Amino acid sequence: MKKNISGKLALITLQVLLLPFLTGCWSSHEIEEVSLEIGIALDKGYLSSIDKEFEEQDGGYQKNNNITITFQTVNTKGIGNNSKGGGSSEQHSYLNVSETGDSTFQIVREIPLRRDHPIIGHHLKVIIISEELASNYSIKDLLDSYLRDNDIRPSCLVLISKGRASNALETNVIGEIPSFRLTKMVENGYRSNKILPAMPLAKLTGKIQSESSFLLQNVISADGEVKLTGAAVIKGKTNKVVGFLNEEELEGITWINGKVKGGVVKSSVKGQIIAYEIKSMKSKILPHINSGDITFEIKIETEGRLSENWVNRGKPSDNKFLREIEKSIEAEIKSLMENVVQKMQNDLEVDVAGFGNKLKIKHPKVWKEVKKDDWDVTFSKLPIKYNVEVTVADYGAVSSD
Amino acid sequence: MIKSEEKITTTQAIVIVTNFILATGILTLPRTSVEKVKTPDVWITVILGGLIMIIAAIIMVKLSQQYPGKTFYQYSQEILGIWIGRFLSILIICYFITVSGFQVRSMAEVTNFFLLESTPLWAITMPFMWIGLYLVFGGINTIARMFEIIFPITLFFFILVLFMSFKLFEIDNLRPVLGDGITPVLKGIPATILAYTGPEIMLLLVAFMQQPSKAVKVVIIGTVIPMIFYVFLVVMVIGALSIEGVVVRTWPSIDLIRSFEMSGLIFERYESILLVIWIMQIFASFVISYYAASLGLAQLFRIKFNKIGFILLPIIYIIAMSSNNINELFKLGNMIGNSMWFLFLGLPLFLLLFTKLRGAKS
Repeated sequence: MKKNISGKLALITLQVLLLPFLTGCWSSHEIEEVSLEIGIALDKGYLSSIDKEFEEQDGGYQKNNNITITFQTVNTKGIGNNSKGGGSSEQHSYLNVSETGDSTFQIVREIPLRRDHPIIGHHLKVIIISEELASNYSIKDLLDSYLRDNDIRPSCLVLISKGRASNALETNVIGEIPSFRLTKMVENGYRSNKILPAMPLAKLTGKIQSESSFLLQNVISADGEVKLTGAAVIKGKTNKVVGFLNEEELEGITWINGKVKGGVVKSSVKGQIIAYEIKSMKSKILPHINSGDITFEIKIETEGRLSENWVNRGKPSDNKFLREIEKSIEAEIKSLMENVVQKMQNDLEVDVAGFGNKLKIKHPKVWKEVKKDDWDVTFSKLPIKYNVEVTVADYGAVSSD
Repeated sequence: MIKSEEKITTTQAIVIVTNFILATGILTLPRTSVEKVKTPDVWITVILGGLIMIIAAIIMVKLSQQYPGKTFYQYSQEILGIWIGRFLSILIICYFITVSGFQVRSMAEVTNFFLLESTPLWAITMPFMWIGLYLVFGGINTIARMFEIIFPITLFFFILVLFMSFKLFEIDNLRPVLGDGITPVLKGIPATILAYTGPEIMLLLVAFMQQPSKAVKVVIIGTVIPMIFYVFLVVMVIGALSIEGVVVRTWPSIDLIRSFEMSGLIFERYESILLVIWIMQIFASFVISYYAASLGLAQLFRIKFNKIGFILLPIIYIIAMSSNNINELFKLGNMIGNSMWFLFLGLPLFLLLFTKLRGAKS
């Protein structure tokens, strides 16, 4: 009996002693006490007037002012005020903070010196790099700290901005968060073929390491508005921006590599506008090797709808007219592709449409040989044939004009 | 010799083998194998590695079946005499101790990096090890029943989460198939072996089986399940990150899960849930190797099993903490993988042939 009681006592003591272990996270921080960064803009270093004043007062450390990073964080204070419904609803739901330095990671850790809430990266959605910076520094170096980070997820998107990157993180619409706007815009590829498939850090790692050139979506901004326009060309050897493709050139690229999910081809018949809506498309890059010479053939098959027709007395119900339309669209698609290939081969000397990759897949041995030289240079001298087949499957709700 | 309530069923044996195999390898296999193979054909390497492991496991089973009811620690003394037998047993015990130390440390390292950033390593490892000790005291049957709970949960979630990454998958990342021929594929096999450590438990497990005759079936099914899973894993990871990307990522499999967000489902991010479940899997591996080592020492030196458990606990902890950085940890992992060739392929084969020849003579 006595033994039983002491056993119970021991059990109770043990239970009490174990309680402190159940308190949960050792190293937790309250979510209200941190700033969630959702967007980052990397720009060429510039000092704001406040920065200059700080430096005059000896606030600073040994650094070069190469890079200015703008952090966009969610403004929790603003949200709180809005819910009260007071006059403070004018406040934006985001906050932008800039800091200048030379190490991207050091710059983040300078923020706690200036703000009460340190920045944490768990919810980073988008990184925008300005052209000025990316043409001078390798994006591999610029993004290194983000790729290494344990908080920042590799799902974070990367964009290039032709102008100041931090401007893309501004908006005039109250309640809108620019970083979220950008990530949503990138997903609009099913409505337009001028948008590249999203490039998260996860995919970018492979591209950076592979030494072959690639594209990143370009975003421009003006007065709080942004627009996805064309793409930045990144040279594989250096990982620096070497040029840009405009919207039409990007369209050509998406036709070549078959990454089209939707969109429009505008063309004309008898000088009048017609618009073709892409419903499906298949693209094949076929590398041919004839006695050591490499040639490429692009085969495209697409099916879609005539969505707009300005042609007088053009009856789509007439097969002859339909054929005419198809011819005109075929020619348009072909010229889009020729246009961008011409730019890749003659102006930029890069292959960003995936020709090299197709050669690697179809003829690995040949690829091993050509890889020894600069593929981008080899590519720019290769002949390319085009083969486009358009089928207008229907013409919408109007059969004649 | 072994009490009937200590016996385990065939299914339990399969679950033990599978749970032992699936551990640390899941997180690093895509990288370690691509580093060696350097072509997208890694999935072939993974299949070949699995087949080699199955052959090794069948040899171990055949050897154990020659001595019904006895573990390796007991019959090795019968084959080669007390001293050599003891020496070999100690080698294998050391192997199991190292494996459990390695599992503990990798678990702590990954948890520390992704989940509990400023929690000290000892605070992560200690509860893990204590609970492990508690389970080891329960004996093989308790362990087997515990594993039966872990197994379906982990496998279901692993596969579910892998399927979710389908949006990132690009078939071109896996082509060309055999572009550089078969040589790089073969070169990669040793790198996959660490991911397959596990079937060696059969050296003792056969003695505990209700139907030892089914042991071959056990190792085949027990190894094929992880093999299919690994192939699927490697294909998904390379398909999303490409071989150039996989090589530079320390924990490629977690990165794959971190690379997508599912809005609309209960969770948007799955890496935490995956890691928590993966810890259960590591726990299984840790416990079984801990048990194997304790059993060995108990049988070898006729010490009470429970005492051994307590003695081993600090030793495993020291081994776990002996790596000063992550490179040393990975090196330890490679060492374990390399020792497999001798301990669990060469040695059992030799012992089996020795037994057969001697049997033929007499």
